[in-house]
Amino acid sequence: MSRAFTTTELEAYLDEALQPEAMERIEHALRGDDSVVQQLAEINARRDAGVHTLGAIWRRARLSCPSRDQLGSYLLDALPEELADYVRFHLETVGCRYCQANLADLRARLERAGSDREADSRQKRYFQSSAGYLKKREK
Amino acid sequence: MSTAPTTDSLLVEQIRAGKPEAWNQLIAQYEGRLLAFAESRLRGRSAAEDVVQETFVGFLTSLPNYDSRRPLEGYLFSICAHKLTDFLRREGRRPVIPLSSSARDSAGAWDLPGSARHASSILRSGERRSLEAAALVEAVGGEIERWQQRGDWQKMKCIELLFVCGMPNKRVAEQIDLSEQQVANIKFDFLAKLRSLVRKQNLSVDVFPELYVPE
Repeated sequence: MSRAFTTTELEAYLDEALQPEAMERIEHALRGDDSVVQQLAEINARRDAGVHTLGAIWRRARLSCPSRDQLGSYLLDALPEELADYVRFHLETVGCRYCQANLADLRARLERAGSDREADSRQKRYFQSSAGYLKKREK
Repeated sequence: MSTAPTTDSLLVEQIRAGKPEAWNQLIAQYEGRLLAFAESRLRGRSAAEDVVQETFVGFLTSLPNYDSRRPLEGYLFSICAHKLTDFLRREGRRPVIPLSSSARDSAGAWDLPGSARHASSILRSGERRSLEAAALVEAVGGEIERWQQRGDWQKMKCIELLFVCGMPNKRVAEQIDLSEQQVANIKFDFLAKLRSLVRKQNLSVDVFPELYVPE
């Protein structure tokens, strides 16, 4: 019987590593399709038993992710063609969410270079809400 | 291709020493990419900001367990992914899966306190698993480095589509303009190399079933 999702896709779902649309498709299926729930439970049981998969290890170690510098050069169209082609593949075909997030951040920084008041106030808020934990450690 | 810059280790060292300016610097450096990651899934700025805020708090509370040899960016992303999952569960968007304890395995040590599992068994199995995973990371990382040096991007794409995206040979062949036979050969060679490494390191073959699946 053919399954709606491959094991690799569901592994990536558990690691929050699929494209948002694919994540939503699986979440939708989980509400009405017991076989998908069962498939995920099987994957979890295998993980609990210590079974490894190449995909999960590759993703977690980010073995083929371009560096942030390379992503920056990609954005500026300054990479050698073959490497740029691979980076495009990694971003668009593989759909690496971590690299997509990095690229979006780099693009935003490039666009807003100069006036950064909003980001400053947001960062101040993060700092204020978390710095208490920092001080505790100081003692 | 990603490497942990040593400046990250210095930054973490200063944060461990309680220096607020270092903490400020880390926030400024990483908040943009974490926000972009959370926002892609939540499609709402304010919810994404909440998740990032929880991520930074999570980072500081987990700092005693953080191994500085681990790339900081990956560690922050893994915390963020878990905070995102928690947020989506609270919102009722992400259903809870039975036997879901392993959904937290990838988080590393940062969420072990309070887990429903027995800490001693987690740590014991976790250590062994980490060793096995590290061996595989080294082997695959070595292959990737060789492909990059030789400019063998086609091979790299092929293996990534097969094992990271889980595509069948036929789809991979269509995607990167190779014959199915070429894809099968690349896959065969790659798996043979990894099997040999697993044997050399005396790792249990049972924990890498994928390497022994017949074509």
